[in-house]
Amino acid sequence: MMEDYAIEFRNVSKIYKLNGKEKKKTEHKMFYALKDVCFCIPVGEVVGILGTNGSGKSTMATILAGISEIDEGEMIVNGEQALIAINTGLNNQLTGLENIELKGALLGLKPQRVNEIIEGVADFAELGEFLYQPVKKYSSGMKSRLGFSINLCLDPDILIIDEALSVGDKGFANKCLKRMKELKKHGKTIVFVSHSLPQVREFCDTALWIEAGMLKEYGEVNAVCDHYSDYVDRLNKMSAEEKKRENEEKFQKRLVTDAKEGFWDKALTFFQKHM
Amino acid sequence: MFKGVRYVVRENANNLYRIYSIAKYELLADMRDSKLGMFWNFANPAIQVITYWFVFGFVFNRSQVDGIDFLSWMLGGMVIWFFISPCITNGCNAIYQKINIITKMKFPVSILPATVVLKEAFNHLCLMIIVVVLFAVNGHFPSLHWLGLIYYFVCSILFSISLSLMTSVLNMLARDTRKLILACMRLLMYLTPILWDIKSLPHVFQVIMKLNPIYYLVCGYRDCFFYHEGILFYWKQMLVFWTWTILLFWIGSTIMYKFRTKFMDLI
Repeated sequence: MMEDYAIEFRNVSKIYKLNGKEKKKTEHKMFYALKDVCFCIPVGEVVGILGTNGSGKSTMATILAGISEIDEGEMIVNGEQALIAINTGLNNQLTGLENIELKGALLGLKPQRVNEIIEGVADFAELGEFLYQPVKKYSSGMKSRLGFSINLCLDPDILIIDEALSVGDKGFANKCLKRMKELKKHGKTIVFVSHSLPQVREFCDTALWIEAGMLKEYGEVNAVCDHYSDYVDRLNKMSAEEKKRENEEKFQKRLVTDAKEGFWDKALTFFQKHM
Repeated sequence: MFKGVRYVVRENANNLYRIYSIAKYELLADMRDSKLGMFWNFANPAIQVITYWFVFGFVFNRSQVDGIDFLSWMLGGMVIWFFISPCITNGCNAIYQKINIITKMKFPVSILPATVVLKEAFNHLCLMIIVVVLFAVNGHFPSLHWLGLIYYFVCSILFSISLSLMTSVLNMLARDTRKLILACMRLLMYLTPILWDIKSLPHVFQVIMKLNPIYYLVCGYRDCFFYHEGILFYWKQMLVFWTWTILLFWIGSTIMYKFRTKFMDLI
């Protein structure tokens, strides 16, 4: 039986704790990073995630990748997911080749598989002779190319890309987009978190707009992008005073009113407060 | 109740290659960091040994313990301390050190203490070679009894992993854990009869000292090198040691299991 949905969110919420103004006070605020989000992403779809700063995009990415756990609701993921993390796990002292081996192992690849990918990664990252140089001598673009290329060699069913293409020059970004289009053809589900509207419009089928931790819109890419850019324009036109009020309003909406804590959460809070 | 234990054991067993790779490349990166590389792995312990030998052997004029020259006797216990001590101090930093990895990719966090211990184990084996040469020069030649070292080495690895499991999680909850441990390390060294003979104490204190799991390892190493009493001779201490190790492992893996998804929010 084929699963229709790659990812399904049912009333998912993620809560962060905030410190109160005064440290000694026992009360502490809880804050919804994501609040009551529901959506289904079909297999093979490329989804762009849009949203202003602090609206919960990155939280969403880490949750989708299975790194962070949700506090309420249910998340169903069919298939293996992977977050593309560019510069993580690269060691400055080691050479490019050693880094491929190390990061391959970190990502959980088997030794034979690591040996298989080395050539492909080196080619894709356009390292040339730099493959045998320590990574500390690389330019920052080169580093991200290396990191990105290793990640692409993983073969997950669901790919989550968090602002990955904002680094590296245009040529490389295009190359990556091309590679991802190939993956798209192979029926991979791709979640693409980006600030760049043109990239989202070009690459994605649908878009998902999160605002203040809540799902604002999910649908055809151009429609959502239009609405989003209108919203951003409206925000930019606001005076500082209005903006502040709007932010305050959003913040109040995201506070948790009825908080219940388990034993381990309490232990955690206790630790953080007294140490 | 044993869910955590099962979880940690399974995760470690499934990721042996990951553990090996991380330890290997970390060692490599460490060596590349300095011009002399490996040399410092030996120089540091050597200088410490010379210091202690100068103070205790030379200034306080302790020439012999149980008929063994003081330098050899001290070295026999010191060598395992040089393994345990960095395991404890680096072990509690194991998760925190890798924070940018565990927040950016799906990663089996519970293997991190093992990577640290494996890395130190390599350093320990290097040091052992030098110690063996030194002993041979001093007239203690390798014999079949030295095979017991393998058992004690495995013991110390398991103990270090168990302890690090616990401290590394506690260190994520409160960074003070590491500060506390660093501050207590010197105390722990002098409390463990490494530099002094336990027989100089009254009987009550001797019993208390023997509750220290690290002293069991020190005893074991010395036994293999000089006394040749055999593994079962220290059965009381053995019992205490394994109780400690199993208890620590149980506590460590339980809290590791409980907090495994929360590290992300603890930074």
